[in-house]
Amino acid sequence: MVDRISEEIAEVLEAVWTLEEEDTATIRNVADNAPVEVSKDLIARLSSEGLIMVDEQEHVHLLPKGRLLAEKIIRRHRLAERLICDVLGARVEDSEAAACEYEHVLAEGITNSICTLLGHPRFCPHNKPIPEGDCCRSARDEVEPIVVSCDQLRVGESARVAYFSAREHSRLLKLSALGISPGITIKLIQKWPAYVVQCEETEIALEPEVAHNIYVWRTPAE
Amino acid sequence: MVSESGRSTKTVVLVGNPNVGKSVIFRLLTGNYVLVSNFPGTTVEVSRGKLQLNGASYEVIDTPGVNSLVPQSEDERVTCEILLKEKPDLIIQVADAKNLRRTLLITSQLAEFGIPMILVLNMIDEAEERGIEIDSKRIAELFSISVVETVAIYSRGRRQLLNAIQAPSCPRNPLRESGAGSRLIESLDGIGAPALLSIEWMAEGNGDLAQAIISSLSPEASSKLGNWIGSYSNGRRNPAREVAEIRSRLLDTSVASFKKKRKSRFTEEGSWSRKILLWLLAGGTLLFLWNEAGGLFNIRTPFEVVSRAVSGRLDRLLTDAGLGGGILQSVLLGKNDGGRYEYGIIPEVIHFLLLIAPVIIPLGMLISRSRTFVYELGILTRRALTGIPILIGVLLLLYEFVGYTGAQTLVALFEDILFGEYVVPLVRSILPAGFISELLAGEYGLISMGLTYAIGIVLPVVGTFFIAFSLLEDSGYLPRLSILSDRLMRIMGLNGKAVLPMVLGFGCGTMATMSTRILSSKRERLIAILLLALGIPCSAQLGVMLGIAAGFSQKATLTVIGVVASQLVLVGFISSRLIGGRPSEFIFEIPPIRRPQFKNVALKTWYRLQWYLKEAVPLFLLGTLVLFVLDALHFNGLSFLKWFERGVAPIISGLLDLPSEAAGIFLLGFLRRDYGAAGLYDLARNGLLNGQQVVVSMVVITLFVPCLASFLMIIKEQGLKRALAIAGFIVPFALLVGYVLNLVLRTFNIQFT
Repeated sequence: MVDRISEEIAEVLEAVWTLEEEDTATIRNVADNAPVEVSKDLIARLSSEGLIMVDEQEHVHLLPKGRLLAEKIIRRHRLAERLICDVLGARVEDSEAAACEYEHVLAEGITNSICTLLGHPRFCPHNKPIPEGDCCRSARDEVEPIVVSCDQLRVGESARVAYFSAREHSRLLKLSALGISPGITIKLIQKWPAYVVQCEETEIALEPEVAHNIYVWRTPAE
Repeated sequence: MVSESGRSTKTVVLVGNPNVGKSVIFRLLTGNYVLVSNFPGTTVEVSRGKLQLNGASYEVIDTPGVNSLVPQSEDERVTCEILLKEKPDLIIQVADAKNLRRTLLITSQLAEFGIPMILVLNMIDEAEERGIEIDSKRIAELFSISVVETVAIYSRGRRQLLNAIQAPSCPRNPLRESGAGSRLIESLDGIGAPALLSIEWMAEGNGDLAQAIISSLSPEASSKLGNWIGSYSNGRRNPAREVAEIRSRLLDTSVASFKKKRKSRFTEEGSWSRKILLWLLAGGTLLFLWNEAGGLFNIRTPFEVVSRAVSGRLDRLLTDAGLGGGILQSVLLGKNDGGRYEYGIIPEVIHFLLLIAPVIIPLGMLISRSRTFVYELGILTRRALTGIPILIGVLLLLYEFVGYTGAQTLVALFEDILFGEYVVPLVRSILPAGFISELLAGEYGLISMGLTYAIGIVLPVVGTFFIAFSLLEDSGYLPRLSILSDRLMRIMGLNGKAVLPMVLGFGCGTMATMSTRILSSKRERLIAILLLALGIPCSAQLGVMLGIAAGFSQKATLTVIGVVASQLVLVGFISSRLIGGRPSEFIFEIPPIRRPQFKNVALKTWYRLQWYLKEAVPLFLLGTLVLFVLDALHFNGLSFLKWFERGVAPIISGLLDLPSEAAGIFLLGFLRRDYGAAGLYDLARNGLLNGQQVVVSMVVITLFVPCLASFLMIIKEQGLKRALAIAGFIVPFALLVGYVLNLVLRTFNIQFT
């Protein structure tokens, strides 16, 4: 029974957070967007627990305690999406449902490990910001190399290939036949109208989507 | 696979990455000329040649480039099949010395075949320039093969290569050591075949290739490998992935130890001659732009001023000498249009000296002398901000050369003077009036129409286009065009790679249709062929149309280009959605800019022209003959041609408001598109078309059916059914667009003068 309630609460908090990003967190919208039934009771319970506050225009606001909770849920959800899209190669649309399952079962420690594995990503596949965790903050302080998508490199920057998130295996083969494979250092030399990377002495043009799906270890600036 | 000894002729197969110079090595060995380009994937057909060496004879086979022997495209498959079917006695791997890792990937795959092998590190000069040093001795030791360093285009290293061919050695496979300890490698012990490769083939959907290996083995080895692959393919772990890991470990260690990188030598130069040439190029470009702007804004241009002065003086000299009005005058000076002389030899020389030469000569000298310049040019041409202005410049230069020198001056000299003044009158004067004279020199005569169009109009245009295209191709400029156009091509369901067939289509649609083979998916080949057939006018047609357009305002030309281009994008967009699927991904290697080799460009142009003369001229004659017969045969007092014109008149006159003669021209258009355009040219010159009709008829003939030759090529590439479907779509579509355009022009009363 306790779990059931917390899951309901989690879903509402998640919906409020997401709507707040778009500045449209009204009770109506929250009820429409949360995957659980949002009864007056539920809202009242959240308010009484000091998680949210509803103003006269029926706008829902997260209170500090609720924000803290929501941040963790959102972080788990969006990290899970990244994991499913980037590493497992699922489509963005499919990642949503699976991520919903993940967000309830991931423990804090595991969340941070996933975050580190993915190179402390800052945005989910839908391009919404992922709240930072402790691991992100300490990583930034220690300037450890982080994994970014190849299209996030600066022009002229070199980086070591970490992994591809290719749906088709054929792309992997094509890239590795041209010399781009995990462990190899590539240099981004152009972003527009097509991406161009240099690998050994070969220049290779890539369409944006391909460049986006090559993940590289960015070496910290010396 | 053990090589079959005892054959009198030994088979040598050339294998290697795309654009590393296999075809140049092929030429070096056999003396046979194959078209080579600075564009990956030029060799789509397999060439064979003979080599005699100290009494031994060899058959050398050139193959399409591969990036890996695990094939990803059809031409890569072709190469694998050749290796399996031909059972070569010797494999020569040709490689770009600059890219050692990619080279050794293929070496490690080829080594598995156990066939004697040589590794040719070509373009060693480019590697040296970039400060790359390669320890070829240690590569030779690792694989136990001979490694030869060459610069094939200068024949450097040829003798060493010939020596190596006479004493080849069997490679060993270092993968077996680098994968030592792996259960996978151990379990394959004792199987001599390319076992690891067949695992990868199996895993990547090339089971037939793997089967070919298995069936060629001894019974025990075959059952061992077969069982093994069977058991592994049921397992959870992908064995191909393990093979790839072992390979990549080998490559990492060997590249790290065999390749050293020092500072590149680009920075060492900064000489005066380079600076002077750069200034000359800048000046030449300004002069060129000034001349180009002249036509648009009615400014006096250097070309016009000089041309008037020189030609005018010469004209007076000739007239004083009593040679005025003669052939000599029209050959030298062309037409005198109110003091402006055009389309003669003298104005053409001035045109070349003042427009083309000031840009091309410093550019060519810089490319051949300054490595830094070439390197920077390579960068500037692929960036949007600099690349697009450069592209516009290239197109304008192309127009000046093909559209002016080719389609105006040379056509005037060939058609008007050679055929119009000499050949046709001569034939008429020799032959007595009658059937033969009509057949050869009548209205639809084989000489007066067929040869005049083929040699007089089309040959100069295709000739100049082929020269320009070969230059562009060998310079490595075209792949940069792919980068610039990728996003546009994507709208049409293609990717940047499709730019080569499209550009080639402006030369010859038939050749372009054949070259769609470089595209990686069937759906892209279909879309590209459809678009080529629909709306890419070939140079011959384009040249003729530019000639017609020259008589009307630039608004007419722009309208035609605008309508055709928008239809191309529209049809590409819709058809790609109808066919479904996505454009295949654009992952494309860009070769460096290189100086085109004069001999190669000349030979290439010559081969292409030969091809034109052999393929196209007979079709021209056939087309004329068909027209002649249709015109000569009468039924109910009217010729068949007239009946045909009458039959389609409702469409031609009713829908498109064109004179009924245009019907015959559209019929001609099917035999050769340019042939149709040439007929249009005649109509326009005789004042039978007004501005609106010119625009409508040019749009229709551009969109109209591809010529007979390219239609035959479409059948060959896509099958009869699809070819008919393509034609069945294009004909009504072209008429529909013409109809709508005509309606719009008339409704809004848009005039072209």
